[in-house]
Parts: sequence; C-alpha cells; structure tokens
Amino acid sequence: MSGAGHKPDPGNATGGQWPAGTEAAFSMRGTLLRKNLMTALLLAPATLWLVVFLVLPFVAIAIFSVGERAPEGGYQAAFTLAQYANLPARATAFWNTMVLAPVGAFACLLVAYPVAYYLALRAPERWRLILLALVVIPFWTSLLMRTYAWMYVLGGRGIPALLAYVGIEDVRLINTPGAVLLGIVYGYLPLMILPIYVSLERLDRRLLEASADLGATPLSTFLGVTLRLSLPGVMTGFSLVMILLLGEYLIPTLLGGGKVFFIGNALVDLFLQSRNWPFGSAIAITLVLVSVVVLIAANRISARLSGARRVDLI
Amino acid sequence: MRAFVVAVFAFLYLPIALVVLFSFNAGHHASEFTGFSTQWYGKALSNPFLVEALKNSLFIATTSALLAAVAGTAAALGLQRVGARTRAVFDGLLGAAIVVPGVVIGISTLVALVQLFGVVNPFLAELWPGDQPPRLALGYGSIIAAHGLFSMALVAMIVGTRLGSLDRNLVEASSDLYATPLTTFRSIVLPQIMPAVIAGFLLAFTFSFDDFIIAFFVAGAQTTLPIYVFASIRRGVTPEINAVATIVLVASVLLVVLAQWQLRRRKQ
Amino acid sequence: MSKSYRDGLPISPEKFVDQLMRLKRGSIGRREFLGLTGLGVATAVMARELGIMPTPAYAAENLGDRMSIATWPNYHDPATFESFKAETGVAVEVNVFGSNEEMLAKLQAGGSGWSLFVPTNYTISTYKKLDIIEALDMAKLGNFDGSQEDPRFTSEGTIDGTIYAVPKNWGTTGIAINTKKLTKPMTSWKEFWDTAMAEGDGRTMVHDYQLTTIGNALKYYGYSFNSLKQDELAKAEELLLKVKPHLFAVSSDYQPSMRAGDAWMTMCWTNDGAQLHRDIPEIAYVLGKEGGEIWTDFYAIPKDAPNKPAGYALLNYLMNPKVAVKEHLANGAPSIDARVNALLPKEVMDNPILYPAADLLKPLEFGAAATLTDPGRAELMARFKSA
Repeated sequence: MSGAGHKPDPGNATGGQWPAGTEAAFSMRGTLLRKNLMTALLLAPATLWLVVFLVLPFVAIAIFSVGERAPEGGYQAAFTLAQYANLPARATAFWNTMVLAPVGAFACLLVAYPVAYYLALRAPERWRLILLALVVIPFWTSLLMRTYAWMYVLGGRGIPALLAYVGIEDVRLINTPGAVLLGIVYGYLPLMILPIYVSLERLDRRLLEASADLGATPLSTFLGVTLRLSLPGVMTGFSLVMILLLGEYLIPTLLGGGKVFFIGNALVDLFLQSRNWPFGSAIAITLVLVSVVVLIAANRISARLSGARRVDLI
Repeated sequence: MRAFVVAVFAFLYLPIALVVLFSFNAGHHASEFTGFSTQWYGKALSNPFLVEALKNSLFIATTSALLAAVAGTAAALGLQRVGARTRAVFDGLLGAAIVVPGVVIGISTLVALVQLFGVVNPFLAELWPGDQPPRLALGYGSIIAAHGLFSMALVAMIVGTRLGSLDRNLVEASSDLYATPLTTFRSIVLPQIMPAVIAGFLLAFTFSFDDFIIAFFVAGAQTTLPIYVFASIRRGVTPEINAVATIVLVASVLLVVLAQWQLRRRKQ
Repeated sequence: MSKSYRDGLPISPEKFVDQLMRLKRGSIGRREFLGLTGLGVATAVMARELGIMPTPAYAAENLGDRMSIATWPNYHDPATFESFKAETGVAVEVNVFGSNEEMLAKLQAGGSGWSLFVPTNYTISTYKKLDIIEALDMAKLGNFDGSQEDPRFTSEGTIDGTIYAVPKNWGTTGIAINTKKLTKPMTSWKEFWDTAMAEGDGRTMVHDYQLTTIGNALKYYGYSFNSLKQDELAKAEELLLKVKPHLFAVSSDYQPSMRAGDAWMTMCWTNDGAQLHRDIPEIAYVLGKEGGEIWTDFYAIPKDAPNKPAGYALLNYLMNPKVAVKEHLANGAPSIDARVNALLPKEVMDNPILYPAADLLKPLEFGAAATLTDPGRAELMARFKSA
C-alpha cells in the first residue's frame, strides 16, 4: 500500500520486460508481432473503459462548462467563460471544503494513530487479527445507515434528551459543523487506521530497542524513530481521506442539514435543483483541478518529510 | 492507551449497535424503540422494492468487480510490456480514475451518456429493421461501467505493485527451461499475483456495494440498496432498512469467518 | 372500470368506510382514530380480508406488480398503498421530494421511473411545454368528477381544454411554531424572520425550495411572493444571507425535527401543520398576515412512465371519494372535492388550520409559472444554500 520506493520500479523501461531472455533468443518478426498483439489485447479493455467513461465524460463537462443554462434549465450550446467568472459565488462552499477536509483528515489522524500504534506494536499477538477485523467490519454496514444512526444519536431524541434528563436543557448537536466533523472522523477512521497500521507493522523493532539502548527517552524514540518511519503510512492515509473529503456529499447532507455545504453539495444542488448544468460542469472541472493540486502537494510534502521516499496513494 | 483504543472501538460500533437494535423494534420508526419484534425481517424480505434493490446491488457489485478484476489485471500485465511513455500515460489515467471525486464521476458520466444516447438512439431507430428498436438508457450498464472504472484502476494499481515485487528469477528460470509463455504465466506469475487480484476484487465489490453518489446520478430508473436507503431516510426510515443492513452485516461477517476457517484448515 | 372492479370486491368501498366511521363513533377515541396507527390497523385488517379473494376486474388488466410515485414528505396514508396493493397486486414505492425543481430536474434528465407524481399548480404549464407529461385519458379515471371540484383550485391542470393533471388537495404555506419554546405570538413573516435571528436562533427551518423560501423572504418587505424584479430579489437575498447562520436547517421535511424538539419553528404547509398540531398540540400553525402562498397539488403522469396502466389505476383509486377521505384524514390537507367534503367529519371541516379565516386567505398568491424556470431565483436559492 505504501513505501513502494523499496522495490524495483517496474516502470523502468529496460528492466520492466519479462521474460527478458526469450526476446533475445527468438528475435523473429512473428514473435515480436505476436508479442505486440498480446500487449494490445491486454490493454484494450482498460483503454476502452478509460476512454469511454473517464476521458469522454471529462470532455463532455469541459464543453458544457463553456455553455449556457437553457431557459428551462439544463444545457444550451454557447462559448462563454461566464460560468468560470461566476465561481466566486460558491466561495463559501469551496472555503468550507478546503478547511473541513484537512481539519477532518487531521482529526481522523489524531484518533487513528494511537489505535494503529496499539494494534501494530502493543496488542497481544492472538488479539491482533481480531482487532484488525473489527476495524474493517464497519465497512460492511452501509455508511448511509451508520450516518443515519448518528442522526438519531445527535438529534433531539438522542444525546440532547439524555442531557435534558440530567438537567441540561436545549442542547443542539445535529446540523452543526461539529456534527459534520464527527461524521467525517467516524466514516473515514478505518481508512486512516489501515495504512498507518501497515507501516508500523513493518517497522523493525530492533530499531526501537537500539534507540532505547542508546539512552533515548521513550518520547524521543517515538518522535525520532516510530513516528518518522510511519510517516509514509500517515501520508497515505491522510491524502486518501483528504481526497475523498474534497468530493464529500453525504455526510454534510445528513449531519449538516443543508446548512454546512461542501463543494460536492453545491455541485449536486446545481444539477438536482437549479438545473444549471454549465455552472455545475465548471465547478466539477475546478474541483478536479483542486484535487489534483492537493494530491501533488501532499506527495511533495510526504516526499520531503520521509526523506525523498516516494509514497503511492494506494 | 488501551482505554483510548477501547473508546475508539466503542465509537466505531455504537452506530452499528443502534442499527442492529432498531431492526428488532416493534414500532414503526427507526428512532423510537417501543418493544422487541422480528416482524421487520419478514416485512423487509417481502418488500419487493427493497429486495430488488438488494438484488440489484449484489448483481452490480459482483459484475463490476469481476470485470474490473479481469480488465485491471490484464492492464497491469500489459503495462509491463510497454515503453515508459505509454506507461506514464496509463498511470496518469488510472490515477485520475481513482482521484477524481465520485460526485464528479457521477455527474460527468450522466452528462456524457445523456448526450451520447441523444445521438445514438435516433440513429438506432433509423437503422433498426423491426418496429421496436432498442433504446440505450441509463441503468445496470451505466452503473456497472461507472463503478468499474474506479475498481479497474484500483485493481491495476494493486496488481501492478505486486508484479513489481515479483520474483523475476523464477520467471527467467521458467523460460530458460523452455516453458511456453502461457505455462510460465499459469504456473509462476498467476499464483503470485492471485492474492492481489482477490484483494482488488474484494475492495471493488465493497466499494460498489456501498457507493451512493455515483449510482445516484447514473442509475436512471434502477435502484441500488444505498439509493433505496437514501430515499428511505427522506421518507422516514422504517426498521425494514435496519433489518436488511443487519442481514448484510451478519452475512459478510459469516463469510469472512468461513474463509478464515477454510484457510486455516487448508494450512493444516 | 370503476363499476366493474367494485362488483368483484368481497366488500364494497362504501361499506368499508361505513365500518371505519362506525369504528370512529365507537369505543376508539378521536385522537387515536385520526392518528396513523388507528387508521393503519383498521385498513390492515380490511386489506387482509380483501386480499383473500382475487379481484377479476383488476386482474384482467395488466397492471404489473409494482410502480413508483413521486410525492412530498408525509403526504399520504401508508395504509392507502397497502389496500391498493391488496386490491390490485401492485406494490407502490413512494419517493419523496422537497421541491418542484427537484422533480423537474429528475424528469428532465429522463428515466425517473415514476408512473405518477404530484406537481404543484404553477409547474404544470412548464411540464406541458417541455412535453414530459401525459394528456390524461379521462376514460380511465371514472372516479374523477370535475363538476364536484372547486374551480378556484383546478384551472391550472387543464391547458387548452386538455386535462394534464387532476387536483389532489389545496393548502397554504404558513408557519409552524412550538409555542412552549417560543412564546411570543407569531402573526407575520416579518416576525418569523426576526424571531429566527433572535429567540429562534439555531432552531428555525426554512424549505429547501426556492418558491417559498425566497417568496416569504420577499414578504418581509411586502413585495409580491412571485417577484422576479432584480432589486426586490436582491433585498430578499440580503435577508436570507443574514438569517442563514441562525437557521437550524434548510429542508422541506421538517416534521421529524419539529417532533424531536430540535427545531422550534419552521416554514410549513397546511398538511404538515395539521399533522403536527394533531399529535403535538403545542405546535401551532399560523399564516403570515402579509400573505404568502396558496397552492393546489395535482396528480400527473410522466410521458415516460414505465407502468402507465398502474399509474392510471392508482390515480383512479385515489380519486375514489371513499379512499380520498381517508387520505385527507391522515395527511390533513383540505380537499377540493365536494363529495369528499361531504364525508369528512365536522371537526375537520371546522379546523382553522385547514380553513383559515377569509381575511387571512385574501392576500395569499398562487405561485407563478415563471418562478419555476427563472434563472435568477434558481441561482439565488443555490447561493443562499451554499453560503
């Protein structure tokens, strides 16, 4: 999942072809042709898929984004940059997303790290697999259902009712940025725990012993060795959660009551309510560009932090 | 630290416990517990819309994950045989398929397909010899394809990483011993990448089964389980939904336990 | 058709309602009877009885086994669909929407999957213009009787003499307020918006629907509910943006939050107001004295409906006064059909939530068709929500 830098890079043009010996032995035309045909066949389905369902849709919304809204809503052909000029009208949604996505990912990290640490380094051997399974199992209950359960817990009949019982009246939890943040941490916690666990689990324990033997305090061992070596996992988890949050729609919808708007919500709103397809397309394109920039930045930062070590997102 | 970990697990499981608890609610709502009953399990399984949504989700998740596993693995193998430039283009596109937010995938696929159908359907009607020309429309196909895009890229990446760490000596040894490429592939490469393919398939299945936002846009008149649940949240959730969620949860836990047990038995 | 299917029933719908009425006069209390459960139990029993025997008239027509309807939150008695299923074998899936724009967007994208839906009066001309709704085949709607309908509410369903939609019920858009939490009397939209920023801070809901949310903000300044004038809309936007941080939610399904006590005050339709007040007496329903919306909701059939026979069958079923009366008792909206009104209990006909005083009704406006498609209002609403 991470730390691919240790491995020989298959992308290397020379070393990546196997079986290397065969080629030299049978440099006959027919074999080469067959080899190329085979390569083409192997890549054909993926190419078709990528072109029809990634490139084509992207071209479509790029064209739409310079169009106009039809009188009854929808799309009407035109060439104008008006949609892009109107982007500031969604500044708040962009701002909410750009603040709550990193904050959410960071909050997620704060909760996930100790759990991953415990699982990888402290948990008794026979418990480890069970605990790990317990991290994954929530994925098998629909996120929608689990978030709906939070609607109940945070809503008037849940915690506020309990608080009223002990005399604290009129507490409001649902439809607040706090509720959305909680939903985010809840929904993405397993995604954060797993990559950190993987990087901690690979950690060479002798390093920790060596550090302690050399007189380092537990804190400086943690900071200097453990944390440092688990950074690739941390960055993988962080960028993964961050990227998913940039396009988040459900959690703000269910726990934000249409009040805490992410850019994903603004986008859906433009297609399902105000039927402004061109403006929606312009926002979609912008969102993709923002995601790419964020990802590149995250990779740069992680490369610097972990000493030029490349980190794959997945 | 252990207390903290226990607290986090409690946090993870509180909502799940509530979902399961309310599936046994005698009352009509998923928000007020009025007594114990299993009636909603029966009601859920006799609700044709809910059953259809569940079946659709299973069908779509299986098909898209299977297609993605095959196409993704093929792509990962194919990418081993091309030059650095072609590879970079593919890596970029596969990366994009993973990174582009689901909401954008859903919307752009909808936009593109609606336009495409608008062009193709009159054409089909013109060319079709019979009275009832086929009409392309949103439905199973579009959901499977849109889910499969992400899944295929995921599989290609996971398998690609695995291929990168493949023991090349074995491959070379195999071809030195005059094994055909196919034999080499079947007996050396495939067994080594199989865990990655299976992991990719399972991830793809899970993703597709739980995805709401992409299906929401490209489903047309079809319903998947998440779409049905979302609609239920709007019209007021009855414990039927909780019952189905509980069934899915128990089934998946059972499957994993069974798989583990099988693995252990085989090892022994 | 209506006549023949009735012949096939083991018990006639007339008798069925008579029984219900007897139940009501008997030992069951009024609140319980009116409540969903009372009706639900009664109909469930009836439905089971009806389900024993097949109904040849319906069976003859190929209705399929399922259909979808798109409607508004809390707008039907679930027992109605249960008994429809018992009679016809057709299961009905209810999809709930919070605005006409949402329904329009879904229909415009194609493949909505609905065989019946519930548009509001002012939208029908646009649907007709976009050619996405059926001209209704009245021969299939034997239970509908136009002469019994109050013409004040029905005109927009008919375009150039062709009927595209038949009325469901009418209503008003007012304010539901929890009088235990907010004790100041509420009489106007001005007070609504001001309270939202003061005592009702964090506890007020507005519709996720441009017509009413913008319309009632326009009312703050005394402008027309339907205004498209830029300067007036700019003022409304200013108010909405000022109120936004103080709101509890922007949602057209406010009943759950009002019932749970999370929200104390909301923009509200007659039917929801009646239901809330019926179950929680401290929740009052009032109209703004400046005016606001009066509306009629209709039933219409999309052109691309996947199961038109079932759509017609359900529509005809709902037009049966005996069925409609139960619907009205459950959802609380005032009926347009004189035959239904004759069957409704006196306390329903006297309910001031359903039938407000004439001087309160007078300033109300029907929504104008232009508001549905006006890009300015659509974008204003979207800006307000994303602010």
